[in-house]
Amino acid sequence: MAAHEDRSIRVRDVMSRQVFTVSPSDTAQSVARLMEEAGVGALPVEAPGVGTILGIVTDRDILASVVAQGLSTSTAVFEFMTVSAESCEEGDSILLAAQKMHEYKIRRLVVVDENKHAAGIVSLADITRASPELGGLVLGGISRQAPQSPPVEGVATCQA
Amino acid sequence: MPSLTQDRLWSEVVILEAPRRVLRVQSTRDAFLCLKNHWPLADGKAKREALAACDRVIEGNDEPDAARAAFIKAAEEAQFRVNSWTGA
Repeated sequence: MAAHEDRSIRVRDVMSRQVFTVSPSDTAQSVARLMEEAGVGALPVEAPGVGTILGIVTDRDILASVVAQGLSTSTAVFEFMTVSAESCEEGDSILLAAQKMHEYKIRRLVVVDENKHAAGIVSLADITRASPELGGLVLGGISRQAPQSPPVEGVATCQA
Repeated sequence: MPSLTQDRLWSEVVILEAPRRVLRVQSTRDAFLCLKNHWPLADGKAKREALAACDRVIEGNDEPDAARAAFIKAAEEAQFRVNSWTGA
């Protein structure tokens, strides 16, 4: 698919609208149970009662920051979540979302509305379904060893 | 099944202990998932009532601590040792 077509496809066209959120005081084990039930590997963290997205927690965070460190599974999410995770908006192009994934070497972005509430999640798999070529470029960039020089900006310079 | 995109926190954590297991539960959705997927008893009166209570609470038709109380009864039925900070 050509780059101009990737620009015309919006995040809203490919994202998942069903969002399971957790609170910062939830525990690693409760988050793991929800991930298992929902079949997802990342959950946005929201401020209880307010709904503002504070960050994101992933299955990898639980493995690397809790289990591998020997911490208790009752460790609270706020102790190992990624604060102020990268996000995008429904009206953004999938090209822009892909650029963020490539730049930050991540596979998911929380989609937020004007109030910074979660509107959905867009994953690299969602982008790949809409544009296999673009998804492949991002995946190639994420999978590569970290470069010695500063990160390259933009998807146009990615190598397959 | 209730919509699990919603959750309602309890006033106090419940800690369930069994040999080689500790479940720490502080919300209605998490209690529902424990009962549904991680429970030692396949069936039981208190378990059924707790699942129904969680459903009501998640749907907004009851207070969160109603689910907490029902969950504790189900835990006792399943022979967990039940702990909380205040013993409530």
